[in-house]
Amino acid sequence: MRLEWKKAPVGRRSFLKGATALGAASMLPMRAMAQDDGVLRIRNYGDLSTMDPAHSVGVVDETIHASVYNKLIQYTPGTEWGWQMDAAAMIEQGDATHINFALRDDIGFTNGHGAMTAEDVKFSFERIIADATGSPNKPDMGPLSHVEVTGEREGTIVLKDPFAPLWTIALPYITGNIVSKAATEAAGGRIGIDPVAESGPYLRTSWVAKEKTVLTRNPDWKGEAPAWDSIEILPIDDESTAEIAFDSDEIDLTRVSLGSVERYRADVPNGGTLVENPSLFYVWLGMNLDHPKLQNQKLRQAIQYAIDVPSILQAAYFGAVEPSTGIIAPGLAGNRPASLVPAAADFAKAAELLAESGETNVSLTLDVLNKTEFTTTAQVIQATLAQIGITLEINLLESGAFWSSGDNEDLQLVLNRFSMAPDPSYATAWFTTEQAGIWNWERFRNDEFDQLHAAASAETDVAKRDEMYRRAQDLMEESGAYRFITHEATPVVHSSRITPALRPDGLPLLRYFGKA
Amino acid sequence: MLQFTLKRFALAALILVVAVTVMFLMIRAVPGDPVSIMLGPRATPELKARLISEMGLDRSIPEQLMLYFGGLLRGDLGVDVFSGREVTTIVFEQLPHTLRLIFSAILWSAVLGIGLGCYAAAHPNTWIDRVAATLSVSFIAAPAFVVALLSLLLFAVHLQWFPAIGVGDGFWDTAWHLVLPSFAIGLSWVGYIARLVRASMLEVMGESHIRTARAFGLSERRIIGIYALRIAILPVVTVIGVGMGFLLSSAVFTEIVFARPGLGKLVIDSITTRNYPIVMGAVLVSTALFVISTAIADLINAILDPRARSGT
Repeated sequence: MRLEWKKAPVGRRSFLKGATALGAASMLPMRAMAQDDGVLRIRNYGDLSTMDPAHSVGVVDETIHASVYNKLIQYTPGTEWGWQMDAAAMIEQGDATHINFALRDDIGFTNGHGAMTAEDVKFSFERIIADATGSPNKPDMGPLSHVEVTGEREGTIVLKDPFAPLWTIALPYITGNIVSKAATEAAGGRIGIDPVAESGPYLRTSWVAKEKTVLTRNPDWKGEAPAWDSIEILPIDDESTAEIAFDSDEIDLTRVSLGSVERYRADVPNGGTLVENPSLFYVWLGMNLDHPKLQNQKLRQAIQYAIDVPSILQAAYFGAVEPSTGIIAPGLAGNRPASLVPAAADFAKAAELLAESGETNVSLTLDVLNKTEFTTTAQVIQATLAQIGITLEINLLESGAFWSSGDNEDLQLVLNRFSMAPDPSYATAWFTTEQAGIWNWERFRNDEFDQLHAAASAETDVAKRDEMYRRAQDLMEESGAYRFITHEATPVVHSSRITPALRPDGLPLLRYFGKA
Repeated sequence: MLQFTLKRFALAALILVVAVTVMFLMIRAVPGDPVSIMLGPRATPELKARLISEMGLDRSIPEQLMLYFGGLLRGDLGVDVFSGREVTTIVFEQLPHTLRLIFSAILWSAVLGIGLGCYAAAHPNTWIDRVAATLSVSFIAAPAFVVALLSLLLFAVHLQWFPAIGVGDGFWDTAWHLVLPSFAIGLSWVGYIARLVRASMLEVMGESHIRTARAFGLSERRIIGIYALRIAILPVVTVIGVGMGFLLSSAVFTEIVFARPGLGKLVIDSITTRNYPIVMGAVLVSTALFVISTAIADLINAILDPRARSGT
């Protein structure tokens, strides 16, 4: 069978003309790229969940909140942790439990809600600690008692006990955002996905779920003028996708994966720059002290000495990160210059400890989150423990199951990673006796540690705090329940047209972003 | 025809009930405490207890299931306790993105696949047929995620012809943003449809009513376009109807790779955070989509081929 088809009436010349035009057109860049159009486009690794600081779920929301709300103080961009005045014209520690402040007189709320007053500060802080609000961020406010309003723009923050993290977390981070009392009360006491009143250099003008959040310059802002007409914040959770978007010039800034650092060190596309910041996260291998198989301290110490941290960092983190000495990162009070167990494995000592323990045919399980760096780390640990005769079975768990492991009494070894805020108390809080079986999965119980944690939070002398937190980490390590691995890193790439303003851990402070 | 339609939709409703029940039980069988995951480590026990109560997790599973179906009958998919937004709103603001992606992929792959299949069938065992066969099999064999990544690197990063991420604003920009994701998930369907149409066409072209049409002197183009394709396309319609399910699952990774909003990404995010109301809402809508598309495919088959109505 043969079917006849009519030829299309296209001559050779017409075809060539058409093909040439098509070819020429295809050489033109046909999509909107990041241009100097006054719009800053950055990646956020998640989508905005609320405009209410009381119910903020962390960095993702705070990146936006910090641009549209004001705080008494804000983090200073740069490489060292510090703070600078924002809504406060004056702020000082009156005594250990009283902090006096005075607000600037040029900050107002949108939607006709008037000037920012001390009543707004009182309302914002006290609603975080009120049980009725149900704020998951309440612990960040520590022992806050109340705020005394002493004038229209003056007031005093009153604490029940001294609280050093007030200056490092409570005021410059999530709980420090000041909302309008009048607007929030008019909205029934809870702010949803749309702001009720804003006061920062930018306004949140639109939000499309899982697509983008747009901030635009606040025309009534009297402070230093923000550099960008608008900021588009794109929720991209996949790091590779974000890198492709950056490489194709569609976004101006993104965190990149550690596996890509080497490539970006060699060349950042479109004239961009790679900034390598340390991170506050901490990764460690924990051992459940309540488990019958892990009762022997010599065995735990043998495991500590048999784990070769440099090999893990090379295999799982592409050599782009440094070993950690504990749970408190460099740059924060309490960071130890060295851990008690050196980063490199000492197999002879490990074998010796194992022999001393009297344990034979040791077989253990290691629970791991199913992410590449953790599975690789687990495999390296499996290989190194095998060298002293310990058999390790790796249990891969997806995030939901993994993060519910607190009450798993069968847990033996676990590879863990916690996020962190820039105060050492945020790290030690999870390892107290009270947290055993909740977030203290090792069931590490130590009275001295608990006392140090409580005392160091109330200590305002930085040198004394430093000493206390170092001792606390020594206690953790001496228990044999911990092998500290790394704090990871936050490599960030940015385009040549922007001057980023980053916290020391690489997170963006959008209100301070400039043009190159 | 009315009886056939009613039967088909009754079956669709039953499938929906079974699918929702299975999903409801499965999500609760998965280990992981939703309240701890949603509230994070700093939540107080009181706050956790409050959320457990708000989510109805303190009730028995059968009770929760009955409550869910009760809400469903009232058109209430529940509230996302975390954001306080209606699940219906959350799901339906994502649905159009997924539908646009799926239908654009079906459209271009069907047009190209049917054309390629017809052309190959019209020139059996010629070099054109062999080239078409090679292309079709290559398309089928190419995993969609590989196509997605390679097309991103070539067309978005290197040539910068198409955008790498997002969904765009306005009609043309949206269409422009659809090109690469739609290409990624539609490519294997081109090959699949082309092979199906070719085989079906060759079979139909040998049937007696086609010979009769030729004997009446009808042109080959008319015979193929009007008489042969109408019959040959039946399996394609069925396959596309069933294929909606595959395309929905392909949409999951496409939405992640291209950072597009959509139902697939919503489900993944919600399962990870054990956000039960949203998982159920999203699964209900995607199951409904699948069931409706297969039902519509059956109806189209019945319209095109009366034998399908009587089940012969």
